[in-house]
Amino acid sequence: MKIKLTVNGLGYERDCAEHRTLLRFIREDLGLTGTKEGCGMGECGACTVILDGRAVNACMVLAVEADGSVISTIEGEAKGQSLSDIQAAFERNHAVQCGFCTPGMVMSVKELLAHDPKPTESAIKEAVEGNFCRCTGYTQIVEAVLDLTGRPEAKGELRHV
Amino acid sequence: MLHEFKYLAPRSVAELCSALSDHRDDGKILAGGTDLIPNIRNGLMKPAFVMDAKRLPEAARLAWSEKDGLSMGTAVTINDLLRSKETRELFPVLCVCAHELASHQVRNRATVAGNVVNASPCSDMAPALLCLGARAVLRSAGGERTVPFGEFFAGVKKTVLKPGEFLERILVPAASRGARGSYLKLKRIAGHDLGIVGVLMVRHGDSIRFAVSSAAPTPVLVESVSAKDSPDEAARKVLAAVSPISDVRGTKEYREHMIGVYVRRLLAEVK
Ligand SMILES: Cc1cc2nc3c(=O)[nH]c(=O)nc-3n(C[C@H](O)[C@H](O)[C@H](O)COP(=O)(O)OP(=O)(O)OC[C@H]3O[C@@H](n4cnc5c(N)ncnc54)[C@H](O)[C@@H]3O)c2cc1C
Ligand code: FES
Ligand code: FES
Repeated sequence: MKIKLTVNGLGYERDCAEHRTLLRFIREDLGLTGTKEGCGMGECGACTVILDGRAVNACMVLAVEADGSVISTIEGEAKGQSLSDIQAAFERNHAVQCGFCTPGMVMSVKELLAHDPKPTESAIKEAVEGNFCRCTGYTQIVEAVLDLTGRPEAKGELRHV
Repeated sequence: MLHEFKYLAPRSVAELCSALSDHRDDGKILAGGTDLIPNIRNGLMKPAFVMDAKRLPEAARLAWSEKDGLSMGTAVTINDLLRSKETRELFPVLCVCAHELASHQVRNRATVAGNVVNASPCSDMAPALLCLGARAVLRSAGGERTVPFGEFFAGVKKTVLKPGEFLERILVPAASRGARGSYLKLKRIAGHDLGIVGVLMVRHGDSIRFAVSSAAPTPVLVESVSAKDSPDEAARKVLAAVSPISDVRGTKEYREHMIGVYVRRLLAEVK
């Protein structure tokens, strides 16, 4: 089936097998391998992309279902050599270790901040509850978001040194 | 995904009904896909045709009226409920349960219709729909029928849906407006886990209703508890209505124990 969609601001028109997942389509047909496959069945969140404004597990969406939609992936974050604000906050706060969960984690945070620019700690935790991180223990990820969105009491504080 | 299928995206109810009657044995409806796609990937389901129900004209409609109550189309997601002001204010019990279902990303796709048609004993939306007296509007090429959720579940992963039929709408009666409740769901990790056992208690006027998930072949509604019952008496009545088993997520004894704990805890919350 022929599908047309926008990914990170660029239009694509491709022929796509009807049983292909959006995740495989993005990685293998479009060559955008920043989005990861962990479990392939909705558990880990490594495949999170933003589909028409909402974070979804791309491993459970068919590419043909996304016909006509607008998608953001991790490749749309950095502009040239400069990181996006979310990426920079992750780096500053040591929220990236092996990095496998990071593309999905950043997409979940991006959706959260689009709707809730000053999230509470519990809103942040809820937004990333579907993103497994086996390295950081999550603390640094929550701190990265709080750092970015401004947590007054945390100003100037040194963490995880 | 190794298994190949044809994807159909009917644009009208008539088109879906005719596709459903053509593919009674080899077709599956696709709503959010959060059950269907993992099942296809695991080889548990091998449909030759997958029929997307999200492109139907009224599918995403979530509407409230005094006359009909709350009406949810096939494509209404769990997060649509949580984002709807009317649902939060008039039917908070739906949100209490919706909030316990899976993770944020899954909730963005998972539909209420898919949740109940999947008919898992651990469905988190079924307890709310049972306690609120909701009904399912089922449609096929032959017409429409309405089934109360009390009669909808027929066994583990089984419903009264007939081949060729689909769940078009879920109706929550206006009379249940304002019912309040709490849902205690036992799970290993916060968010993102199927329940080991779940107990919902709903109060509306003088009535108290309980519904229990993951403790019998289907989600169970318990209407025999009265406001005058002692906590122990209430726990006995709820336990008499369920038949938990031991499986990978917990033992029968653990489930029974926790149901009792939850019933007492829910009653203590309101005392
Ligand atoms: C990681 C993960 C965690 C989960 N956690 C939970 C949880 O905590 N609680 C819980 O209850 N569930 C959970 N689930 C299961 C699932 O997300 C829910 O049951 C969800 O609501 C299913 O809805 P869907 O729209 O995705 O259904 P789909 O996968 O699209 O469909 C499910 C089934 O119903 C059929 N179907 C769908 N809509 C209709 C219709 N309108 N008429 C007729 N047939 C139809 C489909 O053919 C399919 O067989 C989880 C799933 C995953 C992947
Ligand atoms: S790869 Fe999609 S959730 Fe794990
Ligand atoms: S940084 Fe390794 S999984 Fe999160």
